[in-house]
Amino acid sequence: MGTLVDIKSVSCYNEAGRPLFEDASLSFSGGERVLIIAPVASGKSVLIRMLAGLSMPDKGTVRVFGEDIASLTKDGLNKLRQRMGFVFHDSVLISNLKVIENVALPLIYHRAALSYEDAMQKAARLLEGTGFRGDLWGLPGMLPLYAKKEIALARALVLRPEIIVCENLWDGLTDTEKTGLSSLLLQYHKSNPGGLLVFTALSDADAPHVRPHRVIRIEGCMISEELRA
Amino acid sequence: METLKTLGRELLERAKVLFEFWKIIVSTAESVLFRFNLGRKATLDVLLKQVYFTAFEALPIISWIALIIGLIIVTQALSILPRLGGEGLIGEILVWVLIRELGPVFASVIVIARSGTAMASELGLMKSSNEVSALEVMGIDPMHYLIAPRVLGTMISVFVLTFYFEAISILGGYLLAGFGKNIAFSVFVDSIMQAMGFVEVSVSLLKSLLFGLIIGTVSSYYGLRVKRSITEIPQATTKAVMGSLRLVFVTDAVITILFFI
Repeated sequence: MGTLVDIKSVSCYNEAGRPLFEDASLSFSGGERVLIIAPVASGKSVLIRMLAGLSMPDKGTVRVFGEDIASLTKDGLNKLRQRMGFVFHDSVLISNLKVIENVALPLIYHRAALSYEDAMQKAARLLEGTGFRGDLWGLPGMLPLYAKKEIALARALVLRPEIIVCENLWDGLTDTEKTGLSSLLLQYHKSNPGGLLVFTALSDADAPHVRPHRVIRIEGCMISEELRA
Repeated sequence: METLKTLGRELLERAKVLFEFWKIIVSTAESVLFRFNLGRKATLDVLLKQVYFTAFEALPIISWIALIIGLIIVTQALSILPRLGGEGLIGEILVWVLIRELGPVFASVIVIARSGTAMASELGLMKSSNEVSALEVMGIDPMHYLIAPRVLGTMISVFVLTFYFEAISILGGYLLAGFGKNIAFSVFVDSIMQAMGFVEVSVSLLKSLLFGLIIGTVSSYYGLRVKRSITEIPQATTKAVMGSLRLVFVTDAVITILFFI
């Protein structure tokens, strides 16, 4: 499988100028499942947000799909992001859009040839696939955390991305819910064998049943790696 | 020396804010003129919602304010003009006061109070809760999807509301005050049509479009300036209102001076 993400000699500093990690070099290929473990505020969010160009490295280069994210134009970055699904740790659904519209939005925006009805049907199917049982035409604000994560996951999958990044996906969920979401992602990953799946978590125990191929740990500005079968 | 430095810093800060307004205007123009096909269905939906909320839902409040303003101006005019021997000037007075000035200004003030505040707080909330970042990771440009339709929608709304305000205030003024003074409707309308030239209509149109552009731009700017804390939202809303009012009145004065001096 080809290299999808190539991080070379990257250093990142927090607002106070303290290093989060320095001179980190990592590369990820299609088909891999990667788990990034780090304590709170130690740079794991910064690392994964760099993959989507939401934050830029202070030193070094980050290449995603062969493109240096720092040199991409706004349109170039937007094109790259369409090949990626991102689930924020607090789901971050668009509050003034209905549940189904949240999932269909990337389709409606990026796939001009697709009719509105087709986009809605596809979004409804995806939501059904994640197990969402709430009101598709309700606003997401008052939904329970797990339902919001299901919607965020469906939205991340709607453009059939090659990279899926999940930021602290399991935070605040019960063990059954954690297992449910993990199984869904693994199922999706199996059906897209060339894709890359990246998770972040506070510890191994927070990431149940994801069976990572690689575990990256960020501790005390250092990044270490452990390969798993 | 210290005073000069402070003044310089203040001016620089204002210039920076004006430059940020300019960037929003350029980005909106770029979206409307060159990228209108990008995410058309989604952005059109945002535009229609903006026009519905800003123009359509404002019709009841605009109607009764316009009626009252029309009543006040027509009553005042009809009580003063006969004493000055200028009964025939009612049309001119209404056109000068309502179409040149009060129509665009009142429509704008109502839009600032209803929609400018709503826009700044909604965008501020979206920014503080990471929704703007969520759009970015979906490959959706927030300037194109969130800001351009809001600015354009506000321009369309202020334009429509201005002409609605002018029509209702003139008609309302006649119905409520003129009718009682026994002025024939045809005489009343003739008097207005004679006073209303191309310049009056053009200036009203120009003002309404510019005021809409100002309100949309300023409200969007302050909404997007919110960072992580929701306590910044009320401050952003206040700044959006004050900034919009200030710029609308300054622009109004500049246009009036340019056209009518």
